[in-house]
Amino acid sequence: MSVTIQLQRRSGMGQFLSAIPGAGLLLILMLVLFTIVNPRFVSQTNLMNVGLQTSLLLMLALPMTLIIMTEGLDLSAGALLGLSGVIVAEALLAGWGVLAACAATLAVSIAFGALNGVLIAYLSLPAFVVTLGTMGLMQGIALVLTNGDPVGGFTPAIETFYRSQLWFIPTPIAIAAALYAALWLLLYRTRLGNYVIAIGGNKDALRLAGIRANLVHLAVYVLGSTIIGLSAVLLIGRTNSAHPTVGIGMEFEAIAAVVLGGTSFEKGQGWLFGAVLGALAITVLRNGLNILSIDSSLQVVCIGILLILALLIDQARKQFVRRTA
Amino acid sequence: MMHGTENQDEQGDRSLHTPKGSASRAPGSEADAPLLRLVGIDKSFPGVHALKNVSLDVYAGEVHVILGQNGAGKSTLIKTLYGAYAADRGYIEIEGRRVAVARPADASALGIAVIFQEFSLIPYLDIAQNIFLGREAAFSRFGLVDSAAMHAAARTILDGLGLDYDTHAYAADLGVAQQQMVEIAKALSQNARVLVMDEPTAAISERESDRLFQTIARLTEKRVAIVYISHRMKEVQMLGDRITILRDGAVVTSVLRDQKSQAEMVGAMIGRPSGSQLARTPRSPGEPVLLARDVNTAKLSDISIEILAGEVVGLAGLVGSGRTEVVRALFGADPIASGEIALFGSRALATLDRRVRAGMALLPEDRKREGLALPLDVRDNATVASLWRSFTSGWFSPAKAERDTRGLIAQLGIAAHGTRQSVHTLSGGNQQKVVLAKWLAAGSRLFLLDEPTRGVDVGAKAEIYRLIDQLVDGGAGVVVISSELPELVQLCDRAYVMRDHRIVGHLAGDQLTERAILELAVHQ
Amino acid sequence: MTIPATLDIRPSSLSPDAAALLGRFVLIVLIAGALTAVDPGFASVSNLLNMLRQASLLFLVASGLTLVIIGGGLDLSVGANLTLSACLAAAAIKTTGNPWYGVAVAIGAGTLIGYANGLMINRLQLPPFLATFGMLWVAQGIAYWFMAGQTIYGMPMSFRYFGTGFFLGVPLPIWITLVVCLACSILLHRTTFGREAYFMGANQTAALLSGVPVERRRLLLYVLSGLTAGIASLVYLARLNAAEPGIGEPLLLPAIAAVLVGGTSLFGGNGNIGGTALGAILLTIIVNGLNLLNVAATWHPFVNGAVVLVAIIADLVISRRRSGSG
Repeated sequence: MSVTIQLQRRSGMGQFLSAIPGAGLLLILMLVLFTIVNPRFVSQTNLMNVGLQTSLLLMLALPMTLIIMTEGLDLSAGALLGLSGVIVAEALLAGWGVLAACAATLAVSIAFGALNGVLIAYLSLPAFVVTLGTMGLMQGIALVLTNGDPVGGFTPAIETFYRSQLWFIPTPIAIAAALYAALWLLLYRTRLGNYVIAIGGNKDALRLAGIRANLVHLAVYVLGSTIIGLSAVLLIGRTNSAHPTVGIGMEFEAIAAVVLGGTSFEKGQGWLFGAVLGALAITVLRNGLNILSIDSSLQVVCIGILLILALLIDQARKQFVRRTA
Repeated sequence: MMHGTENQDEQGDRSLHTPKGSASRAPGSEADAPLLRLVGIDKSFPGVHALKNVSLDVYAGEVHVILGQNGAGKSTLIKTLYGAYAADRGYIEIEGRRVAVARPADASALGIAVIFQEFSLIPYLDIAQNIFLGREAAFSRFGLVDSAAMHAAARTILDGLGLDYDTHAYAADLGVAQQQMVEIAKALSQNARVLVMDEPTAAISERESDRLFQTIARLTEKRVAIVYISHRMKEVQMLGDRITILRDGAVVTSVLRDQKSQAEMVGAMIGRPSGSQLARTPRSPGEPVLLARDVNTAKLSDISIEILAGEVVGLAGLVGSGRTEVVRALFGADPIASGEIALFGSRALATLDRRVRAGMALLPEDRKREGLALPLDVRDNATVASLWRSFTSGWFSPAKAERDTRGLIAQLGIAAHGTRQSVHTLSGGNQQKVVLAKWLAAGSRLFLLDEPTRGVDVGAKAEIYRLIDQLVDGGAGVVVISSELPELVQLCDRAYVMRDHRIVGHLAGDQLTERAILELAVHQ
Repeated sequence: MTIPATLDIRPSSLSPDAAALLGRFVLIVLIAGALTAVDPGFASVSNLLNMLRQASLLFLVASGLTLVIIGGGLDLSVGANLTLSACLAAAAIKTTGNPWYGVAVAIGAGTLIGYANGLMINRLQLPPFLATFGMLWVAQGIAYWFMAGQTIYGMPMSFRYFGTGFFLGVPLPIWITLVVCLACSILLHRTTFGREAYFMGANQTAALLSGVPVERRRLLLYVLSGLTAGIASLVYLARLNAAEPGIGEPLLLPAIAAVLVGGTSLFGGNGNIGGTALGAILLTIIVNGLNLLNVAATWHPFVNGAVVLVAIIADLVISRRRSGSG
């Protein structure tokens, strides 16, 4: 008896939550709350800040969405971001041109993406351990290159680029928007996008349809690493320095953003725009807590709580889907 | 030995009923050659002669039903046709030309499509994307998929089938029947001329079945040939233009609709007059060990069952009729929505582990996934359910476990090098004995055996039968699920028959015959 | 009734597990021999003891992780758990002056984090890597907040004895390691709980359908993992005499590497604690050897990552062969 009642109540909640995206709901809630507490929250400078911070998080969260949709995970994303920044900075310091420095970063990112992808797609190794291992490799290389110290003093062109505006939109926000548009097209308007969704849903069926599923699976990791590697340029532009460990922890926020946005670890169920909502929710949370002068380390705890909430929502949804299926 | 005589019977039977091609022509079919011919297909696996010289003619625009009990060779036949197995002898012809089907891709290219019971749809792609998965190039423009064109094409195919589904719906949001329709649409979009359906109505409701039948009618109008696998008499007689009955890997008979009565077909499936069964020695059962009343779950309706100590009770029915679900619900593996279960006179045993400790045992159908930890050894597997009983203090003694396991190996005649041999290296029959050993060690008094002899050789089968007798003589209650009717009739004192997730009959004593079970199970 | 023993027992004396342990031991001796050839100082008693002391910390973190992985789970929060437990314990000792409060706090915090992990996995049915990964960041965040940029140092001598003291000429952390190793070994091989853990790890569904109360057992496994992290935090605090945020996280990768190198399969149902001990020693020797060869400490994460990758590929090859599917 009690079992049925519980199930019914859960399904009711699930129905409610699946009608309104959880991350969107939490986002609106926080926006209202923070504005009431401190009207400075909605000032133009602060909102611009939120936009800039969100755009950097999105550079990780968007490719992470594709990776999680293949029932995978990339714990090395933050380390790669740090390493890529270091490579750009060191290359610039060594007198390379900006494009050459970017090319160097690109090469390294693609190599690591390929390493992750080969081990995960072709050898079917669990993504979380593989990327934990490559995370170690990347962190190590970044530390070795810098001896653990921040790298600064390279051409100000990078910072200028970060602070520039396209028309009236800050360049980082424009880039994040362009990336969203590009990945949206890829995911929802190309064959490759279908295959990405199919890998998480039923890789064998994709194989039976005559597609080289492993290659597509590998491509997802390579694409993700490429985007992350290039976004390092924005990261080092923000502070005009590269720090080998600056990216560590960013992968957690990226994963949290994706999960908050309703992308599930199962069956290729994902939502690209959810990552935008999730990233916004996390940035707004951090920003609001900042305004309330709550310690940045406690903010991570709050993100963890937000994540658990999101996972509860994910589960309630799944149970609802299972019951109605 | 019995097999030999049975085979001879069959040979005689078949020579009577399969005058190849001559008399058998469907009224609706053209007078020309069959679209698809299987000629003299023979296939053996180690220890099993799965297909014996099977020939089959399939005509365009016709529904060809293949009928047979479990293990008759239907699924082997489909897999051979689809290129998943290579036949040892025999060949396939399409429109009179001999063709090679070595891989599933060859079958697709020849216009042969199979809809298995396990679907291959991608849950979070929509219907149109699923239909054209892997063939999006046809709709690509500048590297982007022309979504509108793809949905329009999907719409056309669905309209052709009379389906009004939204092509933008995710496969994950479709019911089983709808998914099946999308699979059919997918097959048609690849210009399938022969569509094989493996028990398509096993998991869908009656109304959905009607929808399926309408679709099949449309397909035959379009000259598509349907090969339809089923056990259900009603469907067979309604749909089948031509009916082929398989038994023990051989074609028993191939007839046109209305040439045989339902009773004759059931007889042909069973293969011997129903009086020929072995006599059972009547047992005298004792107290009830299990009483289930009006149990409902997500998959079962109003299950009431009584099992007494010292008797073997069968649970009969077609695959998918809910037999496994019943034992899972009784065992506590699936939650029940309503109803009550009393085990050894107690209603308080709510969870699975408490039921196990009270003396309930489940021998699952899929022993590799649910019964055994394959990488572990015989000792680990044989002792896992009795740890609480053999080592009440919580301290484990390898020496005692070793002794106990040796005793079990000897008692059950498990052929293993020793107690530390990995169970994945054992044969199917010995693996099954290890699962039984696990429950003997636990001192179980109520055994739920789900297909206990599937995939085991003849010798191990006989030993399992003997063991069941011993258990019952020792006062245990035994529930047996089996798709092999002779086995069920021979083993059981009485049987419940299931259909469509409910119990539709109870047979005991002289009423318990293969024919009676089959008639209840297949309905009408 | 019983079969004559001679029929069953084949004359080969080593079980596969013992052979694998022996192989790792030989590997350690070989590397140690090579390092001694490079620098005779490597083989000095003080260096060896010092290395064992380092290895003991790694082992303590890896021991609970081994239990969890054998049972089919994963705990990515062990390092952060160590950090938080150490910080809380240090604060408790500093404010009360009584080391036993520190012990109680560290053990309590450690097990509580483990309990929370188990609860999330059981109740929310989260994949273990996700639940414990989230816990990693939460525990780390709490530690940073709690310490507010400070370092707590200067533990009383009576407490530091745990990390720096000797008993019968052997450093105390090594004794603690031996006790934990023995306890884990007994738990795995001589209790019904241990046998159930192996079975759960090998096939969770079959364990459930054999009447093993899987959720309760799993909860206990995560609690034990938290407990060993708590014990490790005490050893760390006593040895280094200081607690600050971020101390434990770098141990996660080497701990996973030690478990995998020790022959415990990431796919569960297989492995033993002795292997993890040898794995921890092997990793410590590698790091020690790198120092000896004047390789900068900045290489350590790279080496740990490489060891994890090599170990998991080796594990894959072995487990595919074992299950007969390869």
